[in-house]
Amino acid sequence: MTATAVLPKGGGAVRTRRRQGRHPGAASAFLSPAVVLIGAFVLIPMVLTFWISFHTGTMSTPLGEMQWAGWSNYTDVFRDPTHRQAFTNTAIYVGLSLLITLPISFLIAMLVYAPKLRGSALLRVILFSTYVIPTVAIVIIWSQLYSPQYGPLDVMLRTVGLPEPGWLSSPNSALISLVIFNVWQMIGYYVILLVAGLTQIPQEVYEAASIDGAGAVRRTTSITIPLLRNTFVFVGLMTVINSVQVFDPIYLLTQGGPINSTLTISFDIQRTAIQYGLAGQASAMAAGMLVMIGIVGGLVAVALRKRP
Amino acid sequence: MTDLARPAAHPAADPTARTTGRHRSLSPRRAVLYACMVLVAIVMMFPLYWLVISSLKRPEESARIPATWWPHALDFSAYVRVFEDVPFARSFMNSVLFAGVCATTVVVTSVLAAFVFAKYRFRGRNALFWVLVLTMFLPPIVTIVPLYNMMSALGLNDSYLGVMLPWFANAFGIFLMRQFIADVPDELIDAARIDGAGELRVVTQIVAPLLKPPIVTLFVFAAVYYWNNFLWPLTILQSTEKFPITVTLAQLLSYNTTVQYQSVVMAGVLIASLPTLIIFLIAQRVFVQGISQSGVK
Repeated sequence: MTATAVLPKGGGAVRTRRRQGRHPGAASAFLSPAVVLIGAFVLIPMVLTFWISFHTGTMSTPLGEMQWAGWSNYTDVFRDPTHRQAFTNTAIYVGLSLLITLPISFLIAMLVYAPKLRGSALLRVILFSTYVIPTVAIVIIWSQLYSPQYGPLDVMLRTVGLPEPGWLSSPNSALISLVIFNVWQMIGYYVILLVAGLTQIPQEVYEAASIDGAGAVRRTTSITIPLLRNTFVFVGLMTVINSVQVFDPIYLLTQGGPINSTLTISFDIQRTAIQYGLAGQASAMAAGMLVMIGIVGGLVAVALRKRP
Repeated sequence: MTDLARPAAHPAADPTARTTGRHRSLSPRRAVLYACMVLVAIVMMFPLYWLVISSLKRPEESARIPATWWPHALDFSAYVRVFEDVPFARSFMNSVLFAGVCATTVVVTSVLAAFVFAKYRFRGRNALFWVLVLTMFLPPIVTIVPLYNMMSALGLNDSYLGVMLPWFANAFGIFLMRQFIADVPDELIDAARIDGAGELRVVTQIVAPLLKPPIVTLFVFAAVYYWNNFLWPLTILQSTEKFPITVTLAQLLSYNTTVQYQSVVMAGVLIASLPTLIIFLIAQRVFVQGISQSGVK
């Protein structure tokens, strides 16, 4: 995610006319709304998250009145098996989302990108439409689909003679059930990113490979997938970022249950903060989450730098 | 697109039958691809189909086991009840207000900042830009505790301004607009300056009119994002009359959990989903371009 990796080429490195200092007043006037707002409501809160994580207080305790707590919030969080479970569940949720999203979105992208197929424009619209529907709405729709007796999924399974997994009501299947509709909702977004990546691959490369006798499968594995590497990394990163903050379905449907099987960090943070009023512990979890996202981001930056 | 769209518009219809007339021949490979497309379309559309029919079922039919696959009698009364049981109209207007105000301010703050990042040179420019862009990847949950604390200190707890204020600027917007402003020729801007235009006039009368498609993209993006926002309004608001539609839907879900009430919940879900769906369908070409732009670097 470094400047060198993502900056568009020719980003004004050489200019005949130097513009610096010509309109310093306008520059700061134009920059300040965005910089002040993002600074005040994103960057400062980010620093405060760490600060509060070393203090104790309720959600509306003025910062000046919070008590220093050292590392106790962190030890409290990581000694508590429930909070630890939230971290494990989130890791499983993110991992499963990646595992399902990457191959499926690639296959659908290849399908949408396949030449001279009619209806692929419409398919793209259909795929993407689920992305713009509020997650709250998606959650409610899928809770009906999953509904044990009245839901259509169980009816279908019964018709073909398969056992009903219990979906959201069984601790074994609740988390994966949440992953399934997360993938269903987000897949269109990733397909569009991958199709955008596919259009960047020059057609001549495929033609050259065909002349050399490479079949469709060979062309996919040795040209398409390697050349899409950066898009895959970006899709993977966005999947991690989007799924690590899963909150709506847990708040609306499971409240972390059954037996904490769907307790995720985001829900745990919100519950610890709002319901239990433990600002310090909630911030310690948020800080842990930030550090993990930072590590993933760092790995991605390394991956993008090592260009083949 | 309308012409291309026809075969898949009816996933149930056999696409092969429709294509043979105009296409030379249908190879087995193409038949398999079409079958895959239809399958994907069905999987994507089925939950939405279920949403529509569930909202139209009568209470007795909702309670039937096994579930019926189409409503045996159409009943629109759920669409009336949802407005009677919860302050649905009020929430809808709140959401229009939140999404409209936030999307507008995001466009304004993003265009202004992006203009400076694209066309000015000063020390620390790139560093500042990338610090802002990194905030794009920050999940809102990690700052929710301090943000709530700040809003309480400012006396903005449970207020309209408190819901909207943190979202008046957005790193993604700056990132997206900078890409497009960089393509505006410097000569055009300099010519306007020589004619005596101030910097604000350069932005509003020269740059902005050239950026109509990306501005539409950003506005739609932001409006959809803030319409769908749930966590922050849920956290900062306590008064029912200030809730946006997402929070009211959550309330509706717990208002009556019997299966007979399902049609009312689904009617609410459908109404809440329509504005973003309609905006997306109108602007889908621009919208998809915008997403592609954000990914290909």
